[in-house]
Amino acid sequence: MPGLVGFYTFGEGRENWDASHFIHYGLSALQGRGQESISLAAIGPEGTLHTLGGKGDVEEFFSNKTSVPKGFLGIGQTSSYTNDHLVHVKAPYELVLALDGKTDLHENRGEASKLFARQLSQLLHSEKEPLKATSMLINKIGGGYSFVALTHKQELISGRNPLGVKPLETGSVGFDIAAVASETCALDVMGVDHTGPVETGEVIMFTPEDIRGNAPAGEAGNFCSYEYVYLARLDSKVNTLPVARVRNSIGRELAKAHSAKADVVVGVPETALPIANGYSQESGLPQEFGFVRTGENVRAALEPAQKERLVGVQLKLNPVKSAVEGKDVVLVDDSVVRGNTLRNTVLNLKRNGAHQVHVRIGSPALVSPCPYGVEIPPRDELISSYLNEKELASHVGADSVSFMTVEELQHAIGLPRQNLCMRCFENGGVTR
Amino acid sequence: MRVMGVGGGAREHAIAWKLSLSDHKPEIFWIAENRNPGIHKICKDNQGELRTGRTTDPKTIVRSARGWGVDMVVVGPEEPGFHGIPDALEKEGIPCIGASQDLSIIERSKADLRRLQWENNLPGKLLFRTFKNAREASDYIRKNIDAQPWLQNIVIKPARQSGGKGVKLIEDRLAYLHDDKASFKEAYFESLQSSMAAYSDIDDKILVEEKAWGPEYSLQCITDGKTVLGTPLVQDNKSAHEFDSGPETGGMGSISGPSMTLPFITSDEYDNSLKIVEGIVEAIQKKTGESYHGMVGGQMMLTENEGPTIIEMYSRLGDPEALNVLAMLKTDIIDIFQAIVERRLSKLKLEFTNEDAVVVKVVAPNGYPEKKDKAKGHPVQVFETNIKRNGCYLFWGSADLQENGEVVTGGSRLSALMAMDHTLPPASARIEKTMSSIQLTDGWGLYHRSDIGSEQLLAKRHNSADRVRRLYKYKEEHGDLGRRLEWVPKVGKVDPSQLLLKEMRGPEKA
Repeated sequence: MPGLVGFYTFGEGRENWDASHFIHYGLSALQGRGQESISLAAIGPEGTLHTLGGKGDVEEFFSNKTSVPKGFLGIGQTSSYTNDHLVHVKAPYELVLALDGKTDLHENRGEASKLFARQLSQLLHSEKEPLKATSMLINKIGGGYSFVALTHKQELISGRNPLGVKPLETGSVGFDIAAVASETCALDVMGVDHTGPVETGEVIMFTPEDIRGNAPAGEAGNFCSYEYVYLARLDSKVNTLPVARVRNSIGRELAKAHSAKADVVVGVPETALPIANGYSQESGLPQEFGFVRTGENVRAALEPAQKERLVGVQLKLNPVKSAVEGKDVVLVDDSVVRGNTLRNTVLNLKRNGAHQVHVRIGSPALVSPCPYGVEIPPRDELISSYLNEKELASHVGADSVSFMTVEELQHAIGLPRQNLCMRCFENGGVTR
Repeated sequence: MRVMGVGGGAREHAIAWKLSLSDHKPEIFWIAENRNPGIHKICKDNQGELRTGRTTDPKTIVRSARGWGVDMVVVGPEEPGFHGIPDALEKEGIPCIGASQDLSIIERSKADLRRLQWENNLPGKLLFRTFKNAREASDYIRKNIDAQPWLQNIVIKPARQSGGKGVKLIEDRLAYLHDDKASFKEAYFESLQSSMAAYSDIDDKILVEEKAWGPEYSLQCITDGKTVLGTPLVQDNKSAHEFDSGPETGGMGSISGPSMTLPFITSDEYDNSLKIVEGIVEAIQKKTGESYHGMVGGQMMLTENEGPTIIEMYSRLGDPEALNVLAMLKTDIIDIFQAIVERRLSKLKLEFTNEDAVVVKVVAPNGYPEKKDKAKGHPVQVFETNIKRNGCYLFWGSADLQENGEVVTGGSRLSALMAMDHTLPPASARIEKTMSSIQLTDGWGLYHRSDIGSEQLLAKRHNSADRVRRLYKYKEEHGDLGRRLEWVPKVGKVDPSQLLLKEMRGPEKA
């Protein structure tokens, strides 16, 4: 899953801004969405599009000052896929595209993005009204995606297809700078004030003459529920809902419907901490800090190789012995993918003297891969496709395991069911 | 009675409109740089005429006023005032509503306005520094940014009104972007220096001010030099695009009503703002020895350090803010002008509707404000019956009526649509419905801001006002309103206001 940033400047002296510096920090804030690949494109007064792609680490990528593209307009993408870079189409209308999600033009995400970029280039070349044309394009091409494109004519085009499954937010500061980003946290970090989401089916086009937007059809969208559970950063707003508030509600819902007799509540860092906090507030059980992390914040579920992950988990989470020793523990996590993290964590708690461990998961069991490009592994790697709660408890060595239901999660998010995409939690899990 | 107006924008169209509604039935004459179709029609319908000419040339204006034998002149824009049009007219014995050249310094020179405030210790001011050149500005900021942290977040302006030079708002709050912000500031200093080089009459070329945040509003006033009467508060929207993004414009639309204040400004804040404007009028009259008769306005902001604060002064009505107050005005405009001329404003009953809110939305051709040459010369078509049917009013701005009756764009803000209703959102919605009544027939695009007067934007304004109000009220309760105290490691307590006053006094004594 990629994180996108677009940076646009106006006014006199705009050529003095260096887009790469702002995008650097914007992408840093979006690293939770992926850090396998990174790329950047910029355009300066001379009108040439410069691009650069590299391996995941944002700091390392931007430390190479001589090769980073310079210009006063730019777009960037950080991605959880290896070798997943901006698509550069040179003709008939030169543009660079960053895309989160997946269009339905091809099975493979990368190929699907390329085909989309080519169609966009063709349209911008042949149509008189680029805004209208782009708007028609995203209505025509299915899938679930948000995108940001930069053209050789210094236009920045951002859009979200009518399904709206992928987030995209806009912001501005002073009279000089506007930006778009996958999450509001990236705008904050760039020092840009959030102005609102790109609506479902909306296209916003920044040009040297103006900012133009189509009038979106006003479709309510089908927002990704996993953004709220796990993907988005705690300090972001997604579709105008603060993620922190949603995660707290998830914790509270979980406590209401899946109580456990225990002494303390412990969350698995980082994503599950606010969920554990909500669980504690609702249940009245004290929340303890159960783990200290070593090393950088690498998201276990998104890490590619299983071996690395096993090592990673043990290195990352060191239990705070005094917090759990001799106690019955409610262990709260956001989701269970392959079950490795959970198994290690439960084992670690018990080794450190926890008595009973009741696992409570702040989302329904993951049973299906994501058609829109979130790295939920294939079904045969999803433990909940094979094991029900009871079997899973035995497998991980917990005294009980309990997932939220789809209805409970929907209630916690607070959006109508038809406006939430929950396909990864549904569609043919083997047993529950 | 014969009245002559000066200026060709939407503001002047609105003044002409109010004149045409006066019970005094004045004959209406006008001089503008463009043949504004709206003013043209009003003049024709009221036994007068619109003549094009240089509105900043005293000779042209006086000649026309004498030729037409007018009883009174009203000056709309600021430039004629800067060039001494009111002075020239009054020398000829023709009464003029408009600030004289010396008095209009409060608008012409942003630096002189700040000095006036600090010298007289008036409320509602901002920290500032002026510089002779870019080097001096850059050096000063580099040297003092640690001891005077306000220098991080600044507004950069030309120290005096200078053709098309904009304002830059630079917030330098994020350590990791400090170098970017600092170098942008320095580059803009250079750019200001070169464009200000032409003005050899003043030392200060560059003005740097403390950057404040909070809701902005305009308090436009009428004065005869003795009495200052406030009109309803108006909020203009300066950014070109939705939700305050994009480049700075002259104003993309404004809201007012349904009372004297705005929904997110308290009546106490209104009263304090009026006192602040009164203070400026008194101080500038004292300084120049002249009597101020005409319009004066404060472009204000609620700020955390001062509460109501002056961002800039108007020596005239705002454009488009004039449209709001004139729409709400119930008193006959000629009665007001006569009271100003005869210096008896204190006896005038100035009345405004308290039932209607007013929304004004400006329509501009694509290209405005950054590429005005591209925005110019496009033919305009207007469906007037549609506008009327929706209860909206059209005011022409940067538009030129051709000999053949066709109207073409002038490159700046083309026109403004105005609507009144009990609250702001329905008025805004009515204008939205009417927008398609203005079109360019050559396919070039027009744009406007749909968000002005909407519930969403109002909520944003409320939110901003609530946050900044909590901050300044806290200061007020602790007796610290208007005080800025810093503690800087190795330096100790720093009071930037005292440093500023010391620097202001410094060179003169030395």
